[in-house]
Amino acid sequence: MTDAVAFKPESPAREAWRMFRRNIPAMIGVVVLSIIVLATLWGTFFFAGNPYEIVWAPHEAPGVAPEFLLGTDYLGRDIFAGLVTGGGPTLAVGAAAAAITMVIGISLGALAGFYGGWVDNLLMRITEFFQVLPTLLFAMVLVTLFSPTLTTIALAIGVVSWPQTARLTRAEVMKIKELEYVTAARAIGAKNRRIIWQVILPNAAPPLIVSATLTIGVAILFEAGLSFLGLGDPNTMSWGLMIGSNRAYILDAWWPVTFPGLAIFLTVFSVSLIGDGLNDAFNPKLRER
Amino acid sequence: MKLMTRLMGAAVIAASALSSAPLFAEGGTLVIVANQVPRHLNGAVQSGIATAVPSTQIFASPLRYDEDWTPQPYLAESWEMSEDGLSLTLNLVQNATFHDGKPVTSEDVAFSIMTIKENHPFQTMFAPVESIDTPDAHTAIIRLSKPHPALLLALSPALAPIIPKHVFGDGQDVKAHPANAMPVGSGPFIVTEFTPGEAIVLKKNPDFFLEGRPKLDEIILRIIQDPSAMVIAMENGEADMYPFLAGSQDIRRLEKVESLTITNEGYAGIGPINWLAFNTASPKLSDMRVRQAIAYAVDRDFITKALHRGVSTQQRGPIIESSPFFDASVEPFNVDLDKAKTLMVEAGFADGMELSVDYIPGPAEQQKTIAEYLKSQLDKIGITVTVRAAPDFPTWAGRVAGHDFELTMDNVFNWGDPVIGVHRTYLTDNIRQGVIWSNTQSYSNARVDELLAAAAVELDIDKRKALYAEFQQIVVGEVPVYFINATPYHTAYTSSMVNPPLGIWGPMHPMDMVELPDAN
Repeated sequence: MTDAVAFKPESPAREAWRMFRRNIPAMIGVVVLSIIVLATLWGTFFFAGNPYEIVWAPHEAPGVAPEFLLGTDYLGRDIFAGLVTGGGPTLAVGAAAAAITMVIGISLGALAGFYGGWVDNLLMRITEFFQVLPTLLFAMVLVTLFSPTLTTIALAIGVVSWPQTARLTRAEVMKIKELEYVTAARAIGAKNRRIIWQVILPNAAPPLIVSATLTIGVAILFEAGLSFLGLGDPNTMSWGLMIGSNRAYILDAWWPVTFPGLAIFLTVFSVSLIGDGLNDAFNPKLRER
Repeated sequence: MKLMTRLMGAAVIAASALSSAPLFAEGGTLVIVANQVPRHLNGAVQSGIATAVPSTQIFASPLRYDEDWTPQPYLAESWEMSEDGLSLTLNLVQNATFHDGKPVTSEDVAFSIMTIKENHPFQTMFAPVESIDTPDAHTAIIRLSKPHPALLLALSPALAPIIPKHVFGDGQDVKAHPANAMPVGSGPFIVTEFTPGEAIVLKKNPDFFLEGRPKLDEIILRIIQDPSAMVIAMENGEADMYPFLAGSQDIRRLEKVESLTITNEGYAGIGPINWLAFNTASPKLSDMRVRQAIAYAVDRDFITKALHRGVSTQQRGPIIESSPFFDASVEPFNVDLDKAKTLMVEAGFADGMELSVDYIPGPAEQQKTIAEYLKSQLDKIGITVTVRAAPDFPTWAGRVAGHDFELTMDNVFNWGDPVIGVHRTYLTDNIRQGVIWSNTQSYSNARVDELLAAAAVELDIDKRKALYAEFQQIVVGEVPVYFINATPYHTAYTSSMVNPPLGIWGPMHPMDMVELPDAN
């Protein structure tokens, strides 16, 4: 064992990355999302402009003044400034909501799938309760009850979208817990907690990662939807808020709505492409050996 | 989404059209769109547009007003004020009956006015009324404890509906009376259906005491929650009138419809003012100079021209500019950022401050948009503004009535005479916790209290004007409220309509003269 170089199989992650790299749509997704994230980082940390400042007359078309490339909104605020500074909160809400979804969904799903019996029964009834609630309406109720701030919006989205993840996790855990290596772990005396977190979940990770990625996209759309309905946080510039507050004037001015709309579209689209790419990369059936 | 809204709007209208009464009627059916649901239809104990529009059709009042401010006979065929201004004699018409056939008598008038005095939110309206004598069935004498120049205006349809004593005088609390939903009145129309959230149907009163009126057979107040569906209903010709229209986009859109007329006439009596209120009890805002600094930073001209697309007009003082009592010589606070900054430094806030601003949720242009504008504009004088959204009207009203705010946008009506709608905002004794549209600014100035008390009893119009002029100078200068614009209420109506309701009370007035000649 000391100096013998054994045949070392390629690690699963490396293999998945190799698969992923060959997937052209997924790589396009990575490039587009990187650009968006970089622009957002730049807008958050280095951009000097204030997105709330009224810089010019309201509803000036894009290109009329070179310094306001994308025109101005109904107050005369610069759309470009809104776009680059609004990306941060938008992406943050998406990521935070996805994180909440994953934490609740994976915890409940794993417990239900592993223990079965009455625990499963109880947790799945709870999951079903949340699953049958109309998600957007429920999120609206939550945001209305607790004033519309970015935190409550992220929480509301997370709370309404975890049941899918819980069901997925439960199915994976139920499948994996019957496998030999789990029995082996049990045989050497591993405790339940250790088995769940260190044996089963790592092996259930691939579909969960895909699901998490897609959840980010859904959460961004959700935030936009809430803002569109006037339930956004008026103190935090986000793309959804830009669309929501400008939509009344859409017949007069298309640009204040179109640019943040495009930004949301590109973000969600590239996140979906990446999600699909990950799905393919983790799928052993598509792997060439 | 636009298409969705359109389809949904069409569906709502189609559904409600099916359920409504006969479409073919000789005198025609007037369909009015509204989006506020009244709690009930008894204007004697409930203020507000939503109740007043149907209430003025159902109930008659002693007097009525048309385009000018001269009172005209209605239930009172003549009236006489005593020399000392302490009693008003109303001589009632002989032939007026309630919808249930019982005659309208001086007993009903006395009962109604005392009920309003006790229950209506506008306490100042009949506060000086001590008693009402009824020497015979058709004479009522209103006795006052002090002269009350606003009295004749307070006898308007929107403020003094005469309610039947034989229905409401049964000892129950009138504010929660079961008859409030479908009340019996003596006005030109009889309420036959009230489905909250859907429609109020008013049918012609065949025994109306004014000969040959009403002209219409029916008025349907269709309640449509979605403002864009209201506009679509007007565009499609499914509705004939859209009162209290204030959004510049909606106004511009309906102006393009050839068969419609859009006017801003009919709101002189209401005198709606859109303003920014300060909580003067807040340590940050108790210094007048901070409030003045904010007043110098806000550009009223930009708000009316750019944010309201020119549909609203500027308002510089507490009394609506179209009123004869408005004093045009008040300090206009023309935008001056340097002066604003200097005032901030003098007040000890050289490093700026943080403030929150509330606004009434609903159509954004008059309220939320200005709150967002303030966030941008006040940043220039070192004030960081947080816009505090309220999910619904009761939340906003709860915060403001509970004095839990720093700045708030607000929309307050003058209601014709300053005594009725203006005094309440500035009187020290009207600082009442928990009452919205009282003196929620906690503003107190002994001289203002004195001036208002004197103006409330001054019968000489010129002397009264002088008192109000001094009051306006003080209030505008000390800025408990920064006045922004007159709320640009407009009425859109079918151009063929004869006698559209464009008097001082607009649609809050009996529509007994309205005709729709080409109605099917």
